[in-house]
Amino acid sequence: MKVTFDSQALEINPSGDGYIVMLDDKTISVQVVRADAERGQMDLLIDGRRVTAYVSTDITKRWVTVNGQTMMLTKTSDAKRGVRHDYAGGLTAPMPGQVRSVSVRAGDAVKKGQTLLTIEAMKMEIRIQALKDGKIKAVYVSQGETVEREQILIEVEE
Amino acid sequence: MFNKILIANRGEIAIRIMRACRELGIKTVAVYSEADKNSLHVQFADEAILLGAPAPKDSYLHIDKIIAAAKKTKAEAIHPGYGFLSENASFAQEVESAKLIFIGPSADSIRAMGDKAESKARMKQAGVPTVLGFEGLESEKDFKKAAEEIGYPVLVKAAAGGGGKGMRVVNAGRELSEAIESARREALNAFGDERLLIEKYLTDAHHIEIQVFGDRQGNLIHLFERECSVQRRHQKIIEETPSPLLTPKLRKEMGQAAVAAAKAVHYFNAGTVEFIFDPKTSDYYFLEMNTRLQVEHPITELVAGIDLVQWQIRVAAGENFPFKQSDFIQRGHAIECRVYAEDPANGFLPSTGKLLQYIEPRGPGIRVDSGFAAGSEVTHFYDPLLAKLIVHAENREAAVHKMQQALREFVTHGVVTNIDFMQAVLAHDDFAKGKVTTRWVEKALESNSLLFNMQERASVLHVIAAALADVAFAGTKSQPAISNETDPFSPWKQMNNYRN
Repeated sequence: MKVTFDSQALEINPSGDGYIVMLDDKTISVQVVRADAERGQMDLLIDGRRVTAYVSTDITKRWVTVNGQTMMLTKTSDAKRGVRHDYAGGLTAPMPGQVRSVSVRAGDAVKKGQTLLTIEAMKMEIRIQALKDGKIKAVYVSQGETVEREQILIEVEE
Repeated sequence: MFNKILIANRGEIAIRIMRACRELGIKTVAVYSEADKNSLHVQFADEAILLGAPAPKDSYLHIDKIIAAAKKTKAEAIHPGYGFLSENASFAQEVESAKLIFIGPSADSIRAMGDKAESKARMKQAGVPTVLGFEGLESEKDFKKAAEEIGYPVLVKAAAGGGGKGMRVVNAGRELSEAIESARREALNAFGDERLLIEKYLTDAHHIEIQVFGDRQGNLIHLFERECSVQRRHQKIIEETPSPLLTPKLRKEMGQAAVAAAKAVHYFNAGTVEFIFDPKTSDYYFLEMNTRLQVEHPITELVAGIDLVQWQIRVAAGENFPFKQSDFIQRGHAIECRVYAEDPANGFLPSTGKLLQYIEPRGPGIRVDSGFAAGSEVTHFYDPLLAKLIVHAENREAAVHKMQQALREFVTHGVVTNIDFMQAVLAHDDFAKGKVTTRWVEKALESNSLLFNMQERASVLHVIAAALADVAFAGTKSQPAISNETDPFSPWKQMNNYRN
């Protein structure tokens, strides 16, 4: 399995009761000693060294704490352009912000990957794209409106 | 003693006060805004009353609604916490008029200390050292004359002020008239009062404050100092006690000055007298008095060995404060770090969102006062304080090490916090030497001598952990349950031990 976080690419493959991680030119052996999903905690043996890591997942983001340092990484390998968010059949805002443009109306037919609206948040423009071909069932926001994180923006039906 | 108390606040301080109430066998009433309906302070209370919309003026600052809530629930007293209405003399007055007890000083004491010009005049009268300056000036000519007499740099500040509003540092004569004009405008907007005072501005000073405590019978003592010089934008982030700068002689002198200051306004209950301390000369000057419980009160509690909030309640109920000055000593060293949801790399701007993970450190000598749990929402309506992490150890060095370790074990995901930034401060040589002044953070940031940018230190271990998480947690519930229930009294939401 190949994944990329920010610009760091790595490959993970099962091996025995653990995994072999290939990262840059290094080969690292990793074993999961214990995983507690509720706490997001993993006790790992990385090349024989005990490491405790906490990981939380927020769509493409990974919040990771190791040795008291917290970092936010973005998984980039399976979300190349724009950011995709789906929730309960609707497309939701990934972060609080302001709707910059809405390019579709209820009833419009849309193609997978088509940009439906854009949100501006913290000086970044985020494109909300269709996850599949379909028809716009409802648009809940309009240009200039302030939206909260995870607020449903648009619903698409097949 | 009271049977029931209403807490007119939110977040960690509301919970802190409710804990004291429980220990005293008193029932608690929480008040909350629509934005806080799922908050821990609401779940922690015996009863909760919705005040209104999220904006403070419609909820936590709405005096009539709060007093009505107390009446409705038959609470006998109101604890205001800090911030919001805690230093509002009219609120204290109205609480008393409604035949309820205000847990704090008298409205007169609040009013006298709330006015910078009046309090300074009273302090001069009481023999408390004040910064060289003038009150009651009006014309620009008078200000100019005063500034020249004092010597630049000077500080122009609103008489009715607080929180850094209506305050300007003036470095030279040519900046004066514009500073007066803008400070006046700001003061008028913020406080409806354009009176200004002018005083000497100390450039490299420490902020050292003295905790005082008294009862309605006139017993009043001090509970030593807190060193609060690590600040950004006039807001404290790390506090400690004892101060590494004070000698026993200075401590005694400042303690006596604080007691004199408090007695000058017939003070009772918990209060804090703030001083500016010049490390070059060891001179100290009265800055202001905070007529309420402070955010950083826990470090005093640990070192002096007293529960300040319980005693606030007891003296409000009319009990005597039975201790003498000589009953207290400072035992060991305590430090508080304020964990804020804010991004130090981005001008300390608040960071909002859902707490995807939240794990507090534990262990001997570690105390966490917080109002959040995994799944909590950090909104932009209120102060972004997530938690206060407080440690107590034998001496300063041991306390710093304990704090560094505790911060390492504090896991917060979903919002950016200032934890890395505080680690950088604690590890800095200037902090170790007790050389941090109130402008230190600003200067350290300008000169890039603090390294804390979390994105610059992505380690191989982080990347491996991120990649493995998908595999290791596969098939299990990877996120804490986030409650969407709207009824704050649902039995499913009673979380007596809310730490995950």
